[in-house]
Amino acid sequence: MTITRRDLALGTAAICLAAPALAQTAEPIRFGWLAAMTGPSSAPAVGFDRGVRFAAEAINAAGGVRGRRLEVLTRDTQGDPTKAVNATQEMISQLRVHAIWGPTNSGESLATTAIMARANMPNIHPCVVDSLIDARRYPNAFRIAPSNTQWDDAVRNYCLQRVNARKVAIIGDTTGYGVSAVNACVASFQREGAEVAYKANIDATQPDMTPDMLRARTAGAEAIVIWSVSTGMIARMLNTRASMGWDVPFVGHPALSSGEIGTLVERPANWEKVYAIGYRSCAYNDAGQLPERMAGLVSRMRGKVNLADTLLWWVSCGVDAVELVAKAVEATNSTAKEAIIAHWNTLAPYRGYYGDFTFTATEHNGYPVADIVMVRANTARDGAFNLAPGYT
Amino acid sequence: MIASILASGLAVGAVYALIGITYNTMFATSRVMSFTAGQLGMLGGVLGSMFILKLGLPLVVGLVLTLVVCALIGVLTEIVAVRPVLKSLDQHLYVLTTLAVALLIQQFTAIQWGTEPQPFPRLLEAGSGLLDEKYWLPVVTCAVTIIGLEYLYRRTLVGHAFIAIAEDNFAARALGLPERNLRIASYALAGVIGGLAGFSGGQLLLAFFANGPLLNFYGFIPVALGGLGNNRGAVIGGVALGLFQQAANFYAGGIFASVAVFSLFIIVLLAAPQGLFGATASRRV
Amino acid sequence: MLRALPFLAILGVGLATPLSDNEYWALIVTRIAIYWVLISGLNLIVGYAGQLAIGYVALFALGAYTASVLAAGNATPEVPAFAALGIAGLAGAVFGVVVGLPALRLRTFYFAISTLGFATIVTQIALAWQPVTGGGIGVPGPALPAPFDTPWGLLYFCLGFAALCTWITANIANSRFGRALVAVRDADVAAEATGIDKARLLILVFILAGALAAIAGGLFASLQTYITPDAFTFELSLLFFISVLIGGRGSILGPLLGTIVLTLLPEVAAPLAAWSTFLYAALLLVIVLAVPGGIAALIDFRNRKPLPAGRVIASRPEAIQQLIAHTATPDTLSLRGITLAFGGVKAIDGLDLDVKPGQIHGLIGPNGSGKTTTLNVISGYYRAGAGTMTLGGRTLAPGRSTDRASHGIARTFQTPRLIGEASVLENVMIGATIEGRASFLEAMLRLPRHRRDEAVFRERALLALHAVGLDGVAEVRADRLQHSELRFMEIARALMLRPAFLLLDEPAAGLSHDEIDRLASLIRAVSDAGTAVLLVEHHADLIFAICDHVTVLNLGRILAAGSPAEIRSHKEVVSAYLGA
Repeated sequence: MTITRRDLALGTAAICLAAPALAQTAEPIRFGWLAAMTGPSSAPAVGFDRGVRFAAEAINAAGGVRGRRLEVLTRDTQGDPTKAVNATQEMISQLRVHAIWGPTNSGESLATTAIMARANMPNIHPCVVDSLIDARRYPNAFRIAPSNTQWDDAVRNYCLQRVNARKVAIIGDTTGYGVSAVNACVASFQREGAEVAYKANIDATQPDMTPDMLRARTAGAEAIVIWSVSTGMIARMLNTRASMGWDVPFVGHPALSSGEIGTLVERPANWEKVYAIGYRSCAYNDAGQLPERMAGLVSRMRGKVNLADTLLWWVSCGVDAVELVAKAVEATNSTAKEAIIAHWNTLAPYRGYYGDFTFTATEHNGYPVADIVMVRANTARDGAFNLAPGYT
Repeated sequence: MIASILASGLAVGAVYALIGITYNTMFATSRVMSFTAGQLGMLGGVLGSMFILKLGLPLVVGLVLTLVVCALIGVLTEIVAVRPVLKSLDQHLYVLTTLAVALLIQQFTAIQWGTEPQPFPRLLEAGSGLLDEKYWLPVVTCAVTIIGLEYLYRRTLVGHAFIAIAEDNFAARALGLPERNLRIASYALAGVIGGLAGFSGGQLLLAFFANGPLLNFYGFIPVALGGLGNNRGAVIGGVALGLFQQAANFYAGGIFASVAVFSLFIIVLLAAPQGLFGATASRRV
Repeated sequence: MLRALPFLAILGVGLATPLSDNEYWALIVTRIAIYWVLISGLNLIVGYAGQLAIGYVALFALGAYTASVLAAGNATPEVPAFAALGIAGLAGAVFGVVVGLPALRLRTFYFAISTLGFATIVTQIALAWQPVTGGGIGVPGPALPAPFDTPWGLLYFCLGFAALCTWITANIANSRFGRALVAVRDADVAAEATGIDKARLLILVFILAGALAAIAGGLFASLQTYITPDAFTFELSLLFFISVLIGGRGSILGPLLGTIVLTLLPEVAAPLAAWSTFLYAALLLVIVLAVPGGIAALIDFRNRKPLPAGRVIASRPEAIQQLIAHTATPDTLSLRGITLAFGGVKAIDGLDLDVKPGQIHGLIGPNGSGKTTTLNVISGYYRAGAGTMTLGGRTLAPGRSTDRASHGIARTFQTPRLIGEASVLENVMIGATIEGRASFLEAMLRLPRHRRDEAVFRERALLALHAVGLDGVAEVRADRLQHSELRFMEIARALMLRPAFLLLDEPAAGLSHDEIDRLASLIRAVSDAGTAVLLVEHHADLIFAICDHVTVLNLGRILAAGSPAEIRSHKEVVSAYLGA
């Protein structure tokens, strides 16, 4: 038998075709990612997304999970609960994903939680609203970021114990998040016996912040607690603080450390004495070094992921989300919903990059409270910050 | 406290008044109220920030370029959204076309410029505290604009032609006035005024895509209060609105201030549909 | 029945969704049904009445919160889900009127802006009123009881309710109320002359649309399972509004298709999510400029067929007697010392006039002599500065244009005031609006009294068209008629009232010789039937041929009055006006 060149070519082609066919018999792991990639509050999702892509590519480059590729299916929800509900149902019924990461905004998450619970869809999300996590009602939902209460505790403890402020002003914007966060914060300060000298929700588009700042000062506030994602509003307040010649510290929401604020303040000095919520895993110590595990991740991401205009915790949280799903499949050798959820319930702790998560069958708030710290808002480098004064 | 209300109230009031004048300028020659008025104000801020901060152009060049682009947007609005529907003014199609153009401008800006507010440069580096330039620049701009318009309308031939058209479109056309060119010119002028509003108020409002609808609403209130087509009414209405709004902000706080402004607006309008200072009436039959 | 086919087909597709066994489609179809519940009502406001309510998401949010808060028991004892939806509907009805109030008094643009303001305020209040609305954390939506507690159950319920909404809004649209809405939109002046009370009519529609919007909001909350203020975006409001316009004004099927298209569009074009508002806006611009009739015009095949050329208006004066046979002898309309000034110029200066039953009274004079102004004073569009108007001894209230029809006064206009998008028959039927006996509710549910009204209107309108000679084009869109046909259509509309007084404003302008002859015999027949006719005309021949009495105006004063023969020989008239 003579082998012609044509046969050889055909044979090679057959093998080439066969190879992916072999791989395809192993169904990919479908990872649903509900991201508010565009629209007014898209910055976190853009950061998460970089981590998600990086982690998925790394896993697939290493041969996937037990030979199965990890396929990221993204839907842009624009932060709109209606679109998020549609996209969630599409992922459940149409795309038939194995787990969902997101959504990333609280309004969307509130609307989708019950729908995912109905389908028993394994879900990890980073939304802070407390009621979203309830292991009894939503046994499928896990949080890998702090809850509002955890944030609130961290901010309050810092104000009372390290700033030693006896009177505080608590200010938020008029969005849903701002209003509820301010109310919760006021209640918790009062529970601790501290005096809330001034409380306000300000329309973020209001051009002049002087009235509220004046009232806060008149009321004798010794620290200003901020609950808002509106960088424009925060920057205006910082500028007003400077023009009033007031040196009260600002403590609060991570948005205080957003890079946008650096461009919006009139002088760099206006951004001093501003302490934002941060995380030990994403904070530089006095020697200017990140914790070891995070430092390793950052060096691997160098050149592949842009960290300059985002936050390291968003990116690393995205990485953790993908790896949590991948490792659950690896450990259980299954993409069954029950298997993934059951596996997550046994993580005590799971050593992630962003934090060490602990989940049990009754506790789905996985983030360690002790890892929430305050950072100096104006010290961003590669999306991470220097610890605020008072920490070691 | 009072000083602070006055400074910020006058400043935002002047911006609102300028947007009101933008509405009026377009209305005068076309009988059209255009949703693009607020977007022109938004563009004044965004373009100013883009030319001066992003591209690093000198102040004067940045200002001129901003106004030129705004004037072009004004002309474009006339061509795309106004001229085609002028024939059937009574069907109010202009509400739809100008709304569409306004949304196109806003969404385009949101996608290309970003949805976060961005800084607007300090222009003159003058003043501090309550005498900061961000408070008095809009007021000065508003005053200069009003004086300029008065001069234009009273002393120049073009201005007389504008008034003739505003008072009686048909008669003006019968007199042989180039009605279409005058209309285009007035839309360009409106673009410049809207751009000035956004530019002079840029340090207060920042370069932010969502300023458009805000200015649309708060710029419309002076027009409704002052009477359609009445520029002096718009200035009085704008300043009154600015002061009321800042006072309400001060004494009642965020959410209640906007509810108060809106309620007052509706009540005044229902009580005096022609505005407090009278407007040009139109014949129906 | 044939007209119901497309609706039944759409409903059929919706009901067949479970065959896909895919809950994603259940969600999307339910969403379309819920949006349609709102849009079907909004369609009456935007598509029919032409009121540009941009911010209707305000009522949607109001309904969503009312239903959710009641069902959750945040402020009251827990209310069962269906009762909560019902109460939400009531709240929507009340606030529908509140939101609509500016439309009754203000210009279009003002109304558009004020609805936008309402949309902002509702979400602001939802945020601030945390103990009740949950503030930013929101509230769970009402959970419907079994069997509507599954995705498929909810789908069937929403489809059923949407079908009901389609039916009731179509009933309104095809009733005298619907025709009056369109008349208010396209020919408000003529609408007033037929006795349509715009404010009353709009309030009724605002109640209905507000209730539907709020119920839709409640169902939306059920579908979403949870609501927060950020669900009620301006984009959603735009979707509602643009669905109507894309669908086409004055249509039910068009906006329904518009709703389906706009709800599906973001689902099939997911990569374009960021541009969706941009696309909506572009679509709006294109529709308004290029396809102003929307989808409805595209699928209106009946009106694409060319009309026969060389149509002749073959009026049949002999049918007039049957059309407007009077039961009682009409009174005399008397004007005494009427004065009206615009600015400093006196348009009418001390006018006395008697229009007697069975007579044709000609009113002539040069341009600007006050002829049309006189008609407008009688019609109540202008309020005379001095003088009285009486009708058989009773005073005719000045400046009340909407009560003229009830006094038996009908009129036509110098430029025909037509409703271009309605059929000729519908244009004519409007003339008898005040004779309708059925209430809004009866019309909504097609109860017997409403059906009787419609049968009477229809029969009389066909007779009127037969009489003026337009029976061949009864079903044609009015804006396809020639100018002369429109003049006769207006007369037919005026005759629908079986008027005691008919005011004609230059009815012969633009007519051919033959047509003027037919017009003359028509007017003569109307007068013979006992109606008093006041005829403003430039065609001296026509005036002298048919008038019993002629008044000549000059600069707002009577120059001469008398029989045609007297006028023709009146020296001043001849020199000032007749010229020859």
